[in-house]
Amino acid sequence: MGFLLLMKIGWRNLWRNPRGTLLTALALGLGLTLLLISLGLLDGSHEQMVNNAVRFGTGHVVVQPMGYQDSASAELLLPPRVVSTTEAFLHTEAMKHVLRGMSPRLLASGLLSSAANSSGVNLMGVIPKQERAVSLIPQRIVEGNYLNDDQQSGVVIGTELARKLDVKVGDKVVFMTQAVQPTGTDEADAGGGEMQSTLLRVSGIFRTGIQAIDAHIIQLPLPEAQALLGVPGRVTQVAILLEREGDSLMVAQDLQKQVTGIPVEILPWRQSMPTLAQSFLLDDAFNYVMNGVVLAMVGLGILNTILMRVIERHHEFGLCLALGLRPAQLAVMIIGESLALTALSLALGLVLGLSAQHYFATAGLDLRWFFESSLPTTLVFDPVIYSRLSLARIASSVGIVFLTATVISFYPAYKAARTELPDALKVF
Amino acid sequence: MITRLLRLAWRNLWRNPRRTMIAMTAIGFGYTMLLFVACLMAGLRQQMIESGTGLLLSDVEVQAPGYYPDRPTHLTLGGRDGTDVNALVAAIAADPRVQAASPRVYGYGLISGTHQSVGAQLLGVVPDQEQKITVLQTRIVKGSYLTRRMPKGVVIGDKLATAIGVKVGSEVVLLAPAVDGSTGNDLYTVTGMFHTGLDAMDRNLVLMPLASLQELLRLPPGRIHEIAVKLHHDDITATMTSSSALQVQLSKTLPVRVRGWPELAPELADYVQFNRRVTFILFFIFFLLAVMGIVNTMLMAIAERTRELGMLMAVGMRRVQIVGLIVAEAASLAGASLVLGAALAFPLLWYLQVHGLYLGGDRGAITLGGVAVGPLWHGQQDFTAYTQAAVGLAVTALVSALYPATRAARLRPAEALRKV
Amino acid sequence: MDRAARLFISKSSIATMEMQITNQEVQRKISMQFWSLGESNILLRIRSPKEDAGTAILKVGNKIWYYLPKANRTVQIRASMMTTSWMGSNFTLDDLVKQSRLTDDYAITGTFEGRRDGVAVSEYTLTPKPKAAVVWGTITLEVRQSDHLPVRQRYYDEDGKLIRELTFSEYKTVSGRPVPMRLVMQTMNKSGTKAVAETTITYEKIIFDKPISKDIFSLKNLKQ
Repeated sequence: MGFLLLMKIGWRNLWRNPRGTLLTALALGLGLTLLLISLGLLDGSHEQMVNNAVRFGTGHVVVQPMGYQDSASAELLLPPRVVSTTEAFLHTEAMKHVLRGMSPRLLASGLLSSAANSSGVNLMGVIPKQERAVSLIPQRIVEGNYLNDDQQSGVVIGTELARKLDVKVGDKVVFMTQAVQPTGTDEADAGGGEMQSTLLRVSGIFRTGIQAIDAHIIQLPLPEAQALLGVPGRVTQVAILLEREGDSLMVAQDLQKQVTGIPVEILPWRQSMPTLAQSFLLDDAFNYVMNGVVLAMVGLGILNTILMRVIERHHEFGLCLALGLRPAQLAVMIIGESLALTALSLALGLVLGLSAQHYFATAGLDLRWFFESSLPTTLVFDPVIYSRLSLARIASSVGIVFLTATVISFYPAYKAARTELPDALKVF
Repeated sequence: MITRLLRLAWRNLWRNPRRTMIAMTAIGFGYTMLLFVACLMAGLRQQMIESGTGLLLSDVEVQAPGYYPDRPTHLTLGGRDGTDVNALVAAIAADPRVQAASPRVYGYGLISGTHQSVGAQLLGVVPDQEQKITVLQTRIVKGSYLTRRMPKGVVIGDKLATAIGVKVGSEVVLLAPAVDGSTGNDLYTVTGMFHTGLDAMDRNLVLMPLASLQELLRLPPGRIHEIAVKLHHDDITATMTSSSALQVQLSKTLPVRVRGWPELAPELADYVQFNRRVTFILFFIFFLLAVMGIVNTMLMAIAERTRELGMLMAVGMRRVQIVGLIVAEAASLAGASLVLGAALAFPLLWYLQVHGLYLGGDRGAITLGGVAVGPLWHGQQDFTAYTQAAVGLAVTALVSALYPATRAARLRPAEALRKV
Repeated sequence: MDRAARLFISKSSIATMEMQITNQEVQRKISMQFWSLGESNILLRIRSPKEDAGTAILKVGNKIWYYLPKANRTVQIRASMMTTSWMGSNFTLDDLVKQSRLTDDYAITGTFEGRRDGVAVSEYTLTPKPKAAVVWGTITLEVRQSDHLPVRQRYYDEDGKLIRELTFSEYKTVSGRPVPMRLVMQTMNKSGTKAVAETTITYEKIIFDKPISKDIFSLKNLKQ
């Protein structure tokens, strides 16, 4: 009997027991469904953790002067050409769906004083509208308001700093720092420029929950900061936030190509925030292993199902062989059945899986349903996870499940072909 | 009666070894996988906590009330109250929950090298005791850690060294407001440099012998700022329980404030909680996968015995007994499979805990300052999860046997016999 | 009014003084020598107690250096490193080395004329000019009607809470000028009602307008 005919018979065999077939297909399909859901949640939660965490620092990619990562010296500033090139590049059509926001910043350190006390602080001069798209500080205002684009002399500080200085919204504080001598100036001692003081009013107080930020970071409108430090039009870094963490490396490399020859460092977050990268290293490994485990379990399920089917039809195979079907043909028929079953299962699984994934991608999975926290509500991580599944992942999942099912079906086909005739025909 | 039933059930299982083996594999291997995953997940959480607390933070900090977070130099444990600080440290270390305790002194001031001076966090420790609590000594990249032989030796972060232009062997000046308001200052030698990858430490921290810092700050020997504590169990719940207990116990003799790491680093606790929840959901999904395999298997196994059951009914077995027999079979099958699964798993779990899973190279082992850091993932036993999984699987096996069994039992024997 | 604000400003001054610090933690007495030339050069050297003897501070323009005898090193102080109190006293580094002209930063209005504690005084209220980089809400200054020497200066925050109070006494004529020889700065508690810390500066000797060489205000001289 021809190959094609055997396959067709295989297909029809499935439908001799429609309920059984559908149940089995469902069972197998659910395997794929669960695989897609778990991959989506794993990828989604990982992505989310990273995306949230980088927003407390320098974003997915940062552009800063060469050597800044090591020294954090206030004297290092970005050449204006780099800033404009970066901006131009990030606003091209190609980057439209890749970029989420970019924020140029001027950084310096100094002393912030109130009538009651003073404290060392790290100043960030920012453009409020752009900073909103990148940093999470603007969203964590607990009192007052964040900076306005038109407001002058407003400063936002953290709750810890506000407590230490005993100030509230509307109170005044004085910021004192050394004006910057951009590198290249002839200065005998390394003391920096003139000491400058400026009056500021607390316009808002934020709370991130992270001690280091709440006690030491202050934000000011960029033009104000530039005037204070004596560097009009200059910035220290450009922090870039992307839609997808996975694009970090690519964007960094593409940007680098735009500014070859100029001493700048364009760093993806793993390099600009090695601490964070360290913490997520384990998480990456976790994802990797979990993927493997899910696949193993799905494979096991497939194996089981197919084996059971074959054993159940021991008698039937014996009959086929007795009636003249050659063992090889029997094997092909079984393989045909398996392929058909797999295809059916995959179809079911995909439909279910993609719909579930779509639900989790839009509505998200609210972790709070499952747990009440003993600690105050999450500071850094959103309690709602959004599933993220790339086309590549879907394709590879389907591919692997299909491959596994096919390969696994060879064994029962082989065993079936080897059925011992007289035994198989026995009723019991 | 039950034992007879079970014995019969067990023998029944082995009348068709292949079918039984397949079913056992489904349940057993499913259990093994669940154990493996639970172990890894628990290990992951543990390692996250350790990497967050192991360098500087420690599990629990004992301080004078009001000391944290501003850390004013004059708010010390000991001194004026006439408290015996050494006794306090010893008392804490003696607590069964505590693995080790170590005294610390903090200061904030200026470190000055050849050209530059920068603000620095000064930490005075007792090297022998501190090393039982934190692992900073493993991050020395140049020179060596603190030793008794050099009371004026300091260990600083590598970025700090670069910022002020010094190397191992260089002299530095430390300047800090002393407790009496004067400006403490003295000369020290850099004996070593560390690299942690954490900017806050590499750029700011100066480690020195406790006694030397006390001298610099004009603090008498009986006054310290903090006792750092390492616990035997430092997951979130255990830590908070232990620190409350310590708070109650220590407060009986002395006003103190005991804080666990979830309070000191809420973002880390946040991360751990988040991870725990995600892994729980994953575990649940895996459980579903395992369950599906079992249900499928059991359904098939029993459906294929319809004729056999019909025959039993025909020769007089009552329906109730049939269902009972099936359930007993399922129970023994589940039991045996779980044992098998666990047996397969235990060497694996042991290996995971002791040696860990090395996942270097392909996951992009990051080099931090030339030191390659490949993730080594240690497992951690999570017996609660193990038991829950076992119970869940057993119940699933029983329930999924029950349905087809009752259905078969309700057939008329003649019909059942006719099934091919 | 201007006179009161520019009390210690002169072409030059050389002084020896004693500072007594009292607060919850300590009681200390520091004696030091002080040179100033114009408004931007100041040198301060500590004579006692023993642990601090030889420590010196130099300010030239906007730059400040510390000399530390124990380490035999000079360290430049950056703005961000200036802590609130100097040597644990109630004076800040700002007070000591940056003698701002009150008239530059504040608008002055007269608010009281009369007798207080048996002395005829005029009180002025100083309100910071809109862009002035000062932390205070208001400052009140009481001066003697007779010679316009200050009697009391009070610093309030924006909510009207008294943060610190500076009292002047022991008026003497030195180098032809009348000068208070004793200054007491008190820091108030949280509610602004009681003093929790106090620093007293007593001048033993002051010489005004004696020619001083600019070389004194050099790093080389600092190390002596």
